[in-house]
Amino acid sequence: MKCFKLSFMMLALYCSVTAYSQTTNYQVYALFVVNIAKYSSFPNVSSDLQVTVYGKSKVYDELMKQSGKNVNGHSLKVTQAEDITDLGQAQIIYLADGKSASLDDILKATEGKPIMIICEREGLHKKGAGFSFIVTENSTLRFDINNTELEKRQIKISKNLSTLANSTI
Amino acid sequence: MPKIFRSVIVLSLFISTTSSFCQDLDSLLNLNAFTQESELQKILNKNVAVSSKNGLTTRETPGIITLITSEEIQNSGARDLTDVLRLVPGFDVMQDLQFVMGIGLRGSWANEGKVLVMMDGQPFNELLYQTVAIGNRFPVDAIERIEIIRGPGSAIYGGSAEYGVINIITKAAESLDGVAVYGLGGFHANAVGRTNGGVMAARRGENFSWDISAFKGNGIVSDQQYHDLYQSNGEEDLSKVTRADPMNINAGLKLGNLSFRSMYDQFETSDPVTFVSNKNFYADLQYTLKVNDKLQLVPQVKYYNQIPWTFGSRESGEKDFSARATRLLTQLDAMYDFSRKVHGTFGLVYFQDQGTDLLAGDLFNGNKTLKLNNFAFFAEGLFKHRLANATVGFRYEKNNRYGAAFVPRIALTKKIQNLHFKLLYSQAFRAPSLQNINIALDGVIKPEKSNVFEIEVGYQFTPEMLLSVNAFSINTRNVLVYGSEGEGDDFSEWYENSAKSGSNGVEVVYSIRKKVWYAHLTYSYSQSIKDNTVATYEVPDQRQYVGFPKNKITLNTNFNLTSKLTFNPTFLYASARYAYTTIDVDDNPVLSKLDPYLMANAFLNYRGLFVPGLNVGVGVYDVANAKPGIAQAYNGGYAPIPGRSREYVVKINYQINFKK
Repeated sequence: MKCFKLSFMMLALYCSVTAYSQTTNYQVYALFVVNIAKYSSFPNVSSDLQVTVYGKSKVYDELMKQSGKNVNGHSLKVTQAEDITDLGQAQIIYLADGKSASLDDILKATEGKPIMIICEREGLHKKGAGFSFIVTENSTLRFDINNTELEKRQIKISKNLSTLANSTI
Repeated sequence: MPKIFRSVIVLSLFISTTSSFCQDLDSLLNLNAFTQESELQKILNKNVAVSSKNGLTTRETPGIITLITSEEIQNSGARDLTDVLRLVPGFDVMQDLQFVMGIGLRGSWANEGKVLVMMDGQPFNELLYQTVAIGNRFPVDAIERIEIIRGPGSAIYGGSAEYGVINIITKAAESLDGVAVYGLGGFHANAVGRTNGGVMAARRGENFSWDISAFKGNGIVSDQQYHDLYQSNGEEDLSKVTRADPMNINAGLKLGNLSFRSMYDQFETSDPVTFVSNKNFYADLQYTLKVNDKLQLVPQVKYYNQIPWTFGSRESGEKDFSARATRLLTQLDAMYDFSRKVHGTFGLVYFQDQGTDLLAGDLFNGNKTLKLNNFAFFAEGLFKHRLANATVGFRYEKNNRYGAAFVPRIALTKKIQNLHFKLLYSQAFRAPSLQNINIALDGVIKPEKSNVFEIEVGYQFTPEMLLSVNAFSINTRNVLVYGSEGEGDDFSEWYENSAKSGSNGVEVVYSIRKKVWYAHLTYSYSQSIKDNTVATYEVPDQRQYVGFPKNKITLNTNFNLTSKLTFNPTFLYASARYAYTTIDVDDNPVLSKLDPYLMANAFLNYRGLFVPGLNVGVGVYDVANAKPGIAQAYNGGYAPIPGRSREYVVKINYQINFKK
């Protein structure tokens, strides 16, 4: 019981700690994802625009707050997956940092499909993702775009979105 | 509705929608990837240049860092640099010779060439012995911030930074755009401890900036009674026979990418019998050439002209020792950004030191002068990776007398959310100075060299709270040690290399900064290495060196009582120390155990009294009158300087800012 109490206290301390510290602002990441969705057009959207967060990331909690919102006439649906087979009908796959090693598998599984892959980890646009985030020297959040990959997947993005990119290939 | 009118409405609707979309997107441009900084984080996230030329924040820079702000100095009412350094983990103030005080660091005596002290980029280590006299010397009320590496800095700074670096930046050189005056009075029950004052003026423009400041003071070393170690003189009242009088004039000019700084510093101090004088002149010209987006070159020329450690009879003023030391240094630094994540720094240095005897003309082995030529090359690479930042660097220095020294360093640092870690390995060296070479035993001396391992782990529990713990291990080989024997005409002195010295220990820093109060609680522990060979530092059967406590705890707290009034108590606890306090029947100095002490200080500071910019402070240092003595850091024939008694401190400063 003592051990349980101690574990509980440690957990409570950890939660209170992580909640209040200066850490990655996933709210901003989620805002970027929603705006990327807003300024992109997909050939296959039915009623819902589905964003699936692959792997564990706090961005999922932040995106859930946006769930149900209207994005270009579609309802935003947010799901989370831990296995490639669970990716479902997502238009956007958000690849959590911890799952970055799965990028190749995801690319293979979604090859030729109009599915946009946004990576939390920097530089993965060079390895086939459509977007990857980058934190600049002054700590602002930006993204890099792989236009070639997006075109292959028949995903169009607005010029305004392109001009915001840190770099495009 | 006319067609044209409808078209206008449709067009304006389109424009407004488009512009609102653009606004949506534009607003993303400046969003920070991290949550908002607290006051503590603003300090921690500042880039510090002292430990790497590729600026990283305090939590990621490759060094164990302490950053002290002008606000903290002002709130604490620090009387001089001694008060500031005593609150830094691992730092201590000890006695050298003739009541000159110097720095001890991490349990080892570090005054002679082991800690580099710079003010506005100018090194205060004198060129004859590489010492830095502290005490009532530095203008603490003119300081903008102090960046301290509590570890080696030789790979960047060369042979005077083996154990640590203190980088002082003054307000005039950094932030002041106006005129400021300041004054400090320290009063003991029966003596005036010090009266210091200064004035600064600076103007900052986009292409042209200038600053000038002057500081002058009078002080005493102690107000207590003193009996010398050998009891050869009667008891002396130190308030009547000692002095600690600083003077500093500092001026800087910046025209575009060209900058020039010149400084004159003078420090006069004394023990009951002997006066000691240090006079230093500095001139430093540098140009920053931005070749392209990736490459920056900084050529610089520095010239130092000093008359350090002049000493003689306090009563007659007759000099026993007086020598000039000059250095002409040329340096070229190159900073190259290979990519966003790979940065390189390279430097070429050539300098010539010259000593000139100003008395009999035969100081340098019968010659009037001694010249040393030095060439150095250093390089450092910073590789930023998501798992860690790697810093790899080295310095190679060659001297025409003592040969070459090569010191590499490697560091892995990273802040991952709330956690940060640092793994540091450095070699560091102390370059033999003019006098080390001049009076080398049998004419042979080698550079002293240290292997230093450090590890730091820090965790930020809340935005206002950080706990960091570090452990260190310092192993120094070929330790440069001073020795002397005899008296009068039979007196002889020398420097020699002793095999081994060093220390290891841990340091803990807990910082919390709320809106209305902040606190820094530190603990430091150090012990001497087991196989130390430097007898003059040794305390038999103890793992600590002469003069040093094994344990030190400091607490610096500040409360904003109102928006203008602050109350700042500070506490310093040091465990038992050993010092040479007396002699035995054979006239050999004998070690005694000094009791632990607790020093408590309190300071009230009022900002904006009557008019904006006028600040007044009053406080008491050593409230409990603990009077901790300042022990000599080795067996050098001096009893501890009796600690000052309770000192009442009054500070006043006034600043007017120029209109923009």
